[in-house]
Amino acid sequence: MRKYLYILKSEIMTNLQYTFDLIIGFAGYIIHIFIFLNLWQYIYSDPNELINGYNMNQMIWYVIITEIIWTAVSGRALSKKISADVKSGNIAYNINKPYNYVEYSLFNHLGGTTVRFILISIIGLLLGFVFLHGFPPLNILQILAVLLSSIFALLISTLLIMALGLFAFFVEDASPFYWIYSKFILVIGTLFPVEFFPQVLQPIIKFSPIYAVSYGPAKLFVNFSMNEFICIMISQVAYLIISFIICHLIYKKGVRKLNVNGG
Amino acid sequence: MLTGAKNQFKITLLSVKYALQREMLNKVTFFSNIIFMILNNGCFLIQWIILYALKDGIGGYSFKQILLLWGMAASTFGFSHFFFKDAYNLSTIINEGRLDNYLVQPKNVLLSLLTSSVEVSAIGDILYGYIMIIIYGFSIKTFLLFTLFSITGGIIITAVAVLWGSLAFWFGKVDMVANTMNGLPTSFATYPDGIFKGIVKILFYTLIPIGFANYLPIHIITDFNIYYLFVVVSMTVVFIILAFLIFYKGLKKYSSSNLMNVRV
Repeated sequence: MRKYLYILKSEIMTNLQYTFDLIIGFAGYIIHIFIFLNLWQYIYSDPNELINGYNMNQMIWYVIITEIIWTAVSGRALSKKISADVKSGNIAYNINKPYNYVEYSLFNHLGGTTVRFILISIIGLLLGFVFLHGFPPLNILQILAVLLSSIFALLISTLLIMALGLFAFFVEDASPFYWIYSKFILVIGTLFPVEFFPQVLQPIIKFSPIYAVSYGPAKLFVNFSMNEFICIMISQVAYLIISFIICHLIYKKGVRKLNVNGG
Repeated sequence: MLTGAKNQFKITLLSVKYALQREMLNKVTFFSNIIFMILNNGCFLIQWIILYALKDGIGGYSFKQILLLWGMAASTFGFSHFFFKDAYNLSTIINEGRLDNYLVQPKNVLLSLLTSSVEVSAIGDILYGYIMIIIYGFSIKTFLLFTLFSITGGIIITAVAVLWGSLAFWFGKVDMVANTMNGLPTSFATYPDGIFKGIVKILFYTLIPIGFANYLPIHIITDFNIYYLFVVVSMTVVFIILAFLIFYKGLKKYSSSNLMNVRV
């Protein structure tokens, strides 16, 4: 474990060298929040009106938090890197190293994710405070619970995207899988809470990874409840174990059929 | 001069054709990229179905007009990324000294550079645009106007990408700024202009010209106006001239690097 923590630490240090570039890269995030601010202001004729149990401020905070997690993971880059490692044969150099490729990639990516998460959280919370004139009422323990849930969401999201990237062992270009996954997370998990979907779909969404990687931390932030926290933790721990096992299974199966030509 | 333009056009089409043939070597990947891109765009319909269940006429658009807006955004993006993919890598190409490849060719440098590779998934975006047109309500007039505006819109956003990328001639490493600015038209173009207020609307007709690329064309298709049509076509010409002027002005400042590469 120590070697992986060392990888994580060195990646954090590397990413800290490029904080200015990272902040400029967050312009897309700021634009999305700006668009949704305008959209929800247009849809809510009265900011205190409740739509599916959410007022306007809660809806905007929901998007701010889900977008923080989604942007911090930077899934496109991760999926591309894993795919490129497999396609180019680079992965062969990792097989004989004293680490497991899955864990190495996980901690390697988490280094950047950690820095992005901290920076974008500052930007997101600042944006929310400026536009919405305050934060949702949370005590210190509830803030820690939201933070814990966010960390789990980042881990699960990273593992799931890695699993999609590892499909490159079997198909030449795994990016289309990532496109579809990302759009489902974006449309179903990031933009709307579960309560906005038809009753018949809600249980399905609650059992899907969307509940663990998007809805969970955002719901706790906008409207914390102990019952919800317990449900979200159970879902997140289950998905963390499942996604970890899936990554290892795909890798083990894929590496057996790996055929690298010399270069 | 006319023969010169005709030759240049022929070369441009050949360049795109060969780039496409390279991408078609693996047919499974080629077609799956296109199909998945169509599905990818289709996912966003869920968002609008939910929003229209909450409120009708968002930003002054009916649901069918939203489909048209999405189709137009996808199609202009697709046109630009399919035919002129390297407009979006311009700053990197300049910084790495890779312009040398194009400077030695006896044809237009900017056009040769822009058309040297294609983005296969962008075909999916273009097709998605036409699928949206069919759902919106197909007619010959709509089809022709949509095709015209996909081309003008695609050219406008390409010209803007060339302008941002050309900043690399003067300021060096501008990749992050150029990437960010190139992402803005796509972010805004899929939302109705009616939800935005104040200064943002001015930006739509200046720095992020999706007003000319997307919003005005939608208004023309839904309610034909010859004056708006003239404005869109004229502004496309203006953006083309601006892109060429700035690029060639910057090119005078270009210095090569010692990077050796070969175009196959």
